[in-house]
Amino acid sequence: MTGRKPGHDTVRPLPFEAESRLFLRLRATLTWETIRSMVRDSRLRLTLVVLLSVMFWGSLYGLFVEAFAFLDDLHADVISLLFNAFFSSLLVMLVFSTGILAYGGMYCSTEARLLLTLPARAEMIHAHKFREAIWFSSWGFVLLGSPMLAAYGVVRHSAWPYFLLVLPFMISFVVIPAAVGSICCILLVAWLPRLRLHALSAGAIAACVAAGWLGWSMYSRVELDTMSAAWFERTFARLAVTEQKFLPSWWLSSGLIEAARTDRDGRMSAGGLGESLKFLSLLVANAMLLQMFAGWLARVAYRRGYSQLSGEVPARRRRPQGWFDGFLGAAGFAAGRPLRLLLVKDLRLFRRDVSQWSQFVIFFGLLGLYFFNLRSFNYNNAYASMIGFLNLAVVGLILSTFTTRFVYPMISLEGRRFWILRLLPVHRDQIVWSKFIFSFVGGLIPCCSLVLLSDSMLGISWRLIAQHELCCVVLCMGLSGIAVGLGARMPELRESSPAKISSGFGGTLSLVISSLFIMVVVVLAAVPTHLFLVTHALGPGLGAPSGVLAWAGGPWGTATSLTLVVAVGLLATFVPLLLGLRAFRVLEA
Amino acid sequence: MIEFDHVSRSFGPKMAVSDLTLAIARGELFALLGPNGAGKTTTIRMLVGLLQPSRGAVRVCGHDLVKDARGAHLHLGYVPDEPCLYDKLTGREFLWFIADMFGMSRRQATSRIDREIEHFELGEFADDLAESYSLGMKQRLVFAASFLHDPSVLVLDEPMVGLDPRSVRIVKDLLAARTREGMTVFMSTHTLAMAEEMADRVGIMVRGQLRFLGTVAELREQMSLEATTLEHLYLELTSPRGLQP
Repeated sequence: MTGRKPGHDTVRPLPFEAESRLFLRLRATLTWETIRSMVRDSRLRLTLVVLLSVMFWGSLYGLFVEAFAFLDDLHADVISLLFNAFFSSLLVMLVFSTGILAYGGMYCSTEARLLLTLPARAEMIHAHKFREAIWFSSWGFVLLGSPMLAAYGVVRHSAWPYFLLVLPFMISFVVIPAAVGSICCILLVAWLPRLRLHALSAGAIAACVAAGWLGWSMYSRVELDTMSAAWFERTFARLAVTEQKFLPSWWLSSGLIEAARTDRDGRMSAGGLGESLKFLSLLVANAMLLQMFAGWLARVAYRRGYSQLSGEVPARRRRPQGWFDGFLGAAGFAAGRPLRLLLVKDLRLFRRDVSQWSQFVIFFGLLGLYFFNLRSFNYNNAYASMIGFLNLAVVGLILSTFTTRFVYPMISLEGRRFWILRLLPVHRDQIVWSKFIFSFVGGLIPCCSLVLLSDSMLGISWRLIAQHELCCVVLCMGLSGIAVGLGARMPELRESSPAKISSGFGGTLSLVISSLFIMVVVVLAAVPTHLFLVTHALGPGLGAPSGVLAWAGGPWGTATSLTLVVAVGLLATFVPLLLGLRAFRVLEA
Repeated sequence: MIEFDHVSRSFGPKMAVSDLTLAIARGELFALLGPNGAGKTTTIRMLVGLLQPSRGAVRVCGHDLVKDARGAHLHLGYVPDEPCLYDKLTGREFLWFIADMFGMSRRQATSRIDREIEHFELGEFADDLAESYSLGMKQRLVFAASFLHDPSVLVLDEPMVGLDPRSVRIVKDLLAARTREGMTVFMSTHTLAMAEEMADRVGIMVRGQLRFLGTVAELREQMSLEATTLEHLYLELTSPRGLQP
């Protein structure tokens, strides 16, 4: 070993710019490696993500082109109102989402723990984690906002500078709420550590109440003249509350509308460009100021906050056995007790994992809110039936994301505990069946309730409601069978992260098969019903279907379609389950 | 090199570290011992700047960890009990990141990285992504990173967890050599044999207080127990009827 003196004859504090470059380089390397591993290991998933994103973008673009053309004919001024309502809602959402993401990245990640023990400036660590939070919180905005703004430019025949300005406008806008979220996060952790949860809850409740009030005030009465000019005027008058000149959403809306203005010869109006650049400067200046303030605050309070948070003692809560757990464990025959105990264990894990049940509540809660608001519109029978089936498909798709994200990894997650299960007097089949029952029953209750709510709000007949409920049961059964069966067929016992398990090949395959299964079930059930309603609405000889189509729309056609739905459901449930059971019986762990 | 000046740290109503005063000189290897929940990890976290003391000050090479954390970190190397790495960086990229963070020149960084890769026998997997490493490989990489800038003070929290016997030997030899050259080592461990073998002084912490500070020989003397192992002394001291401070 060579003789050397410790000390920092060879080390020196990095200048600000060099440190900034180092973090940028780190981010670039991490991003590049992540993309490379996705291309190498998750091609199916990547292809699907790209394909679906392109499809989503294209559909949104088409939809917005139609909508803007319609609004342009109706009343061009409403565009400003719509932009303001859209961007101000996003403003609030971005404050919360970036705040929460910044909290996770800056205070709870192992990376932050590493960086805080290195000679890195606190404001640099903040900037590094802020960039990460801003990306994760705003990609949805880009995916949703870019087709809307592109469509707007196309409909308004805007000149090319408009399309160039869209991106800087979006970026500078996003930074403002993100910086506010990050500032709130640092302040709360450093100075109000014990109040942060309450403050966050209070803020979220206030935002929900405000959104609820706005929604309620717009849809509180059943509107018989929906989609009429008077209805639009009433609705837009209520939305005018979002048009506040001190809000960045107003600067963004005004800047974009000005940038889209053209002269009679189709060139960009000089006045419009000037105004637009003024609004862009306002956004950029505010974004920079807020970022500087966030950086200064991080320098002052990040380490202090991190220390405060690390010093908090987690509350030791006794968790007495719930009555339901006790009941479930004891009910039924003794032979089924191991299976019931496995169910109780999974139920407890679900209840105690906030990330699982909170997502469950948020997604199904939002869906419930949407279904509840369906009563504000009046429909004719065929239209209501179609919306009912579309809602059924949406419920199925949401459930499929849960079965893929949370149910599919369940068998794999037993990997590290597999030795416990192997030593217990439990047959391996019971482990698989317990996951299936857990997923099936857990999905059945909220899904059937939501479908019932949707159908009741749409005011459709009991016959159709029964049909939808049958489809819903089939969907819950099939989706659970696919997720549990494939999870048992392709377990990843060495992986401890459910997110990584579900994003692998098996998880993606499960999602694709689930989506196809939903489409098949809904189309099989919807087509005869639609034909039946059309036949009854038009009557014979008035363009109503005839021949095979008439048979398909009749009672025998409906019965056949429902039989097929049940058959497809049974296939989707038992084929993957049997494959999974067979593989799991011989699994070496 | 390391100073704890009347340092206390509480977690809510619980006093995790109480009025700790301790100075560790250049070239000394100090081992902090104590049962679970004694306050060792809290002490280490204050020493590396992850926690700020409720009272008192912690200084490394004269730099206060609260007022001048960056200055202190330039002199510090830290090996945590659980290795923190970037999964999507290779071992070599991680070492480059650390070298850059300490402002090393390109030439210095290259030679230091090669040196540590050789010391910790990382060559075989240095260019693989860290996500493919075993716990022991990760721990060796963290050791390499902590030695990279030749720190004046090296802080080790349960350093041998996950290391195979050969790697343990490598680490022990390196620690002995570097302390001879003037590096100060602050180590928290439950491996009493290692503390007995390597430490110049040991500190035994019980319920947030330093119950004993000195050499193993002094501990034997203080407890009037001759020709016994550190394990016996430790168990005696940390038992409810052990010595009062």
